[in-house]
Amino acid sequence: MRALIEKKVLFFGGKGGVGKTTSASAMALAASKAGKRVLLVSTDPAHSTSDIFERAIGPEPVALLPNLHGLEIDGDYESKRYVTEVKERIRNIFGHHIQKEASKQIDLAASMPGAEEMALFDRIGGLVRGEDDRFDLIIFDTAPTGHTLRLIRMPELMEAWIRALSRSRQAMLGIEQDDKTDPVMLSLSGRLDHLREFRARLLSPRVCAFILVLVAERLPIEETARAIDQLDDAGVTIGGLVINRVLPETSPDPFLRSRHEQELVYLDEIDRRFKSRARVRVPQLPSDVHGVPTLERLAELLLTEKALSS
Amino acid sequence: MSLRDNIRDFFHGAAYGQYERELRLRAAELNDLFLLLCYMEVVGLPNPATLYLLDIYPYLLEQFHLWHKRMGMDKSPLGSLPCC
Repeated sequence: MRALIEKKVLFFGGKGGVGKTTSASAMALAASKAGKRVLLVSTDPAHSTSDIFERAIGPEPVALLPNLHGLEIDGDYESKRYVTEVKERIRNIFGHHIQKEASKQIDLAASMPGAEEMALFDRIGGLVRGEDDRFDLIIFDTAPTGHTLRLIRMPELMEAWIRALSRSRQAMLGIEQDDKTDPVMLSLSGRLDHLREFRARLLSPRVCAFILVLVAERLPIEETARAIDQLDDAGVTIGGLVINRVLPETSPDPFLRSRHEQELVYLDEIDRRFKSRARVRVPQLPSDVHGVPTLERLAELLLTEKALSS
Repeated sequence: MSLRDNIRDFFHGAAYGQYERELRLRAAELNDLFLLLCYMEVVGLPNPATLYLLDIYPYLLEQFHLWHKRMGMDKSPLGSLPCC
């Protein structure tokens, strides 16, 4: 897992409640200690990064520790910001009348269902493209798997859509006028360039990797298997698996011993089914992870080669 | 304008006028398709790219105006797309 901190973008995904936020935060802390300037981004609308670091984090990067910033993306905030930016841009180009009419339309479009998700996607795209050069590594703590996989597929879909639009526009311009100076065409090509770059970075094994977090139980294993299939299908590199909350092997307590025996069956299954992937086992800690000291312990565990079982 | 120019324009029009009309019609049709793709949600179809089209809306206002005129409607037929 140590090699992962050399990448530019890491995604942490997995079923709800398996410890994505904890793993992502621990990885962010580990990377920041290794000298990387890290931005930890939470995309889950139910943000819990602020709970782990025990301080408020907002929709703009906040310094948490040396070399480590946090950011909680908020769809509503992003769509408002996006709209303000667009209005600012057209202010200098158009007359008052058109501006007024266009403003009405822009507000209407921004209130459509899906606009927030779209603005969120645009923000993530900007971060993945390396828009913010203050950071070497961006770690995304994502919402549960299904939502994230859709997000990963989105650049491709949007690209196809915008390409269709610019073809349609081009066909018309081909007849009437030049397409190098058409502002609509220019705007569409700009979008297209950004989407292409976003997708290229998402699919580059040098830049980006996806880490799946799971616990040794039936449902998380199945979900991980599905996620791996879909990520492979999308062409995204899988950085490895974090097997979280593994019970201690020797316990005098009969209840824990029996739980552990049950768990061994699943741990074997994980080793068998995902043998080609890098895996890290993180033991169940005696207390909850919150606050920096416990996180530090976890960070060490994630990076030590000993924890690697392959 | 000399007689020579007039004669040249006459033959030019006789030869190409028909094509030009066709091309203009075709361009208008393509333009309508483009408008529809941009304003899909106005007619109730979900448009995944809505947010990315906000910058170009002001440019489209004029084309929208031309469209409803061409379709023989003096005023905008769509409540959510006010024009004239």
